[in-house]
Amino acid sequence: MITTIHTDRLVVISDLHLGNPFSNAKKKVIPFLKWAAAEKFDVCINGDGLEIAQSSFAKVAFEVPEFFRVLGEFKRAGREVFYVTGNHDIALEHFLEDWGVMKVSPFLNVHSGETRVRIEHGHIYDPFFVKFPVLYEGLTHFAGLLLKINPSLYKLWITFEKWTSYRRSKKSGIVGERPHFREAAEELSRRGFDAVIFGHTHHQGHRELENGSNYFNTGSWMLTPHYAKIENGKVSLEEWKEPVRLRWVGSSSSV
Amino acid sequence: MSVKFETRFQHEYLEDYEDGECIFEEGDTGRDLYIIQSGSVQIRKKTETHEFEMTIFKKGDFFGDMALLQSLPRYAAAYAVGKTRLLILKPAGFLLKIRRDPTFAFEMLQQLSYRVKMTNDRLLGLVSRHHIPMDEVQQLLKAIGGGSTGGEQP
Repeated sequence: MITTIHTDRLVVISDLHLGNPFSNAKKKVIPFLKWAAAEKFDVCINGDGLEIAQSSFAKVAFEVPEFFRVLGEFKRAGREVFYVTGNHDIALEHFLEDWGVMKVSPFLNVHSGETRVRIEHGHIYDPFFVKFPVLYEGLTHFAGLLLKINPSLYKLWITFEKWTSYRRSKKSGIVGERPHFREAAEELSRRGFDAVIFGHTHHQGHRELENGSNYFNTGSWMLTPHYAKIENGKVSLEEWKEPVRLRWVGSSSSV
Repeated sequence: MSVKFETRFQHEYLEDYEDGECIFEEGDTGRDLYIIQSGSVQIRKKTETHEFEMTIFKKGDFFGDMALLQSLPRYAAAYAVGKTRLLILKPAGFLLKIRRDPTFAFEMLQQLSYRVKMTNDRLLGLVSRHHIPMDEVQQLLKAIGGGSTGGEQP
């Protein structure tokens, strides 16, 4: 299993939840992948790219083929696709790699110049997920039912999380997140990681840690699309805005 | 000369080393595990006639695991290469580290597995070059790969 890579150009996205009734990430992620290939970036999907927990297989099967065709194009353009598993797609890890498009791993250590970056979905630091896995799974399914009834409930939930954590997060964490994620990033950084990138919480943001390392969360593409950019050892969090014109490099198709 | 920085836990702390400074000597009885936060570390082993470099560990690598896991004296010596900062785990801090940072256990197993494979490959290379009889090779492979000792010394 590959958990360590060397690259000078990598973009990291997370929580597309393709197949979820609320997710319209496919419309945004396909031009993003085309842009990344044109700019010669490798790509890492940092967990929950596909939605198994809150969706039917039929819905996933409808959403996924075009996404995988584009990933195939991406690969043929000479770029690499890495997939870090999350909590909504754990069941898929057995055959995602067998499709031959991506390299699947539970986390990724990226070396870019002198910089070491840890990319991990982050669900194993979620106290609710770890302490009450059965209840967590049950509530995830229940939330999936609510989303089918009214997808905008998701936005309400995210706003509620931001509101309840605002005062606590202002001091040290990313707004909307519980403090456990920043603490986990802090713990990882003590092992010589200059930056730690999580997803899972759906709250994008950046915080400098006590020892000078950096913690990023790429949020979710179900809301505003953000990505982490690793370029020659520098790590930054960017919002994705589709350029006016895109073209494939090293491929026959174009947009 | 090293400088210690106490952190929130007494069984986990940071130490700084200057270039060429000894971290531990071969045969020392320390039980700490070292993780390189910055810099590099050279591992040296003495034989009856020579001292040779076994490997260089870099940022993020760990060493000292044999002493921690098997309570053996240090198998080789460790020296800082350039300015080096180490995160040092006391035996009691090791399990807490794994609890707080579970992927560390995964990475440790991965590195140990890699080292076993490298050792086996080198051993087989030597065996084939020196035409050692097959039954001796088979016994040797069984001895180094042969099941759990339940944490007891073989």
